Amino acid sequence: MPAALQFSSVSKRYDSGYEAIERISFTVAARRFVSIVGPSGCGKSTVLNLAAGLLSASAGEVESFGEPLAGLNRRAAYLFQQDALLPWKSVLENAQLGLELRGMAHDAAHDWLRRVGLQAFATRYPHELSGGMRKRVALAQCLAVQPDLLLMDEPFSALDIHTRLRMEQELLDWVGAAGTTVLFITHDLEEAIALSDEVLVLSAGPRSHLVGRYEIDLPRPRPLLDLKTEPRFAEIYKSIWHDLRGEVVKALGGDHQGGPAHG
Amino acid sequence: MARSLNPRVLAGRIAVASVFLGGWEAGARFGWLDPFFFSRPSAVVARVWLQLSQGTVWPHLGVTVVEAALSFLLGSVAGIAAGFVLGRSRLLGDIFGPYIQIANSLPRVVLAPIFLLWFGLGIWSKVALGVTVVFFIVFFNTLKGVREVNPVLLDNARMLGASERQLVRHVLLPSALAWIFSSLEISVGMSIIAAVVGEYLGSTQGIGYLIAQAEGVFDTTGVFAGMVFLAAFVLIVAAAVGRVERRLLHWRPRPAEASNV
Repeated sequence: MPAALQFSSVSKRYDSGYEAIERISFTVAARRFVSIVGPSGCGKSTVLNLAAGLLSASAGEVESFGEPLAGLNRRAAYLFQQDALLPWKSVLENAQLGLELRGMAHDAAHDWLRRVGLQAFATRYPHELSGGMRKRVALAQCLAVQPDLLLMDEPFSALDIHTRLRMEQELLDWVGAAGTTVLFITHDLEEAIALSDEVLVLSAGPRSHLVGRYEIDLPRPRPLLDLKTEPRFAEIYKSIWHDLRGEVVKALGGDHQGGPAHG
Repeated sequence: MARSLNPRVLAGRIAVASVFLGGWEAGARFGWLDPFFFSRPSAVVARVWLQLSQGTVWPHLGVTVVEAALSFLLGSVAGIAAGFVLGRSRLLGDIFGPYIQIANSLPRVVLAPIFLLWFGLGIWSKVALGVTVVFFIVFFNTLKGVREVNPVLLDNARMLGASERQLVRHVLLPSALAWIFSSLEISVGMSIIAAVVGEYLGSTQGIGYLIAQAEGVFDTTGVFAGMVFLAAFVLIVAAAVGRVERRLLHWRPRPAEASNV
């Protein structure tokens, strides 16, 4: 099976002249959960938008499932960091949006709404829901179209810590069961390690490049509640933080006495 | 309207009307105001009642309504369509932008005689005048509404598989609707004004014609009676537009303290 994503020395230079990333190469094998971490402004979102086909590469090539990407990536779903639900559609209509746009049967949306625990809110509007509930609807919207690849841009960064932990656990269960490939962006290293099979570290921008690639060999299924107190988790965290810290310091523009970056 | 009016607001409104109309009436009766130039409310009410009961006003009101309705419909449909096309295409927007600004800077009143020459004394010269007024109001609002759509909503819908047509239907139109409606409310009033101005400058029928006739013989009561018909008509249509707006924008969170203006 071809890789879900293949970046071959991809660079992106914006029209403004800003060079976001430079010669980045990596592979996301199918059914894997891969996270990208890096200091803010390092071009993480640029990488994700290139994978989605929302941006096109200035140099290099992006392939998805063996085919060079031209235009939008039709096999991917994208969970945005910002609220992307349509305020004028009810929760159910939002969950069905992808199915409706693609002319598919709407049953899967009901099913996903039940799975994210919001069937009782089907007729409500997004502004009547909490941030965590809106994120669940957005996730249901993405998963209802059964994507082969799920792109996630700091999806849980705005949630409180308990909601976040619960949604992370549910995400692992769902994508694990469906065999969905995930490319996950976060600035929170703990989150990246807890969820991923592999963590990529990006350097500080501009002209970000990959500075490290780490295999996360924690066994699955992972009970996230207890994972962070395991010695192996701490070991992995330490070795990656060693690299990431340097980039965070560079991004801050001086030699700060930095601690681990949380939420 | 389902909203109940605050009794203090209602009392205040009645007080304002009483002072204004009472002062006017008293001024005319006690000789502070010359009734020849200012008429008086009771005479205006009597004239309105006379015109209603004799039925002489209906054909004129009908003509004005048809002109205003046609210019409102044609102008807003054209304005929404043009706003969408130029809002979605940077190229077309850049090409047509300056011409639209030039056209919009023309005072409409100077167009009225030209439309009279082109389209004659009938309703179409008034409709043409109304369209030039309504079109620009709706066009600029639609353009702004389309350009200010949250790009994340567009990207999200595109990633979910939306075609350009589906983007218009599911994202752009609902998003721009709040902008469009605020322009439609203004347009209702403007289309009526345009119809009356057109009639005033040259016609054989309509409320504007009635007012012009009354003015020609220094019949101030007749002029004010015409204004009463116009005001009543505008209020009814504006309330109808507000109803449609509330129905179409029912998804919006209710403002905590709705002002009743």
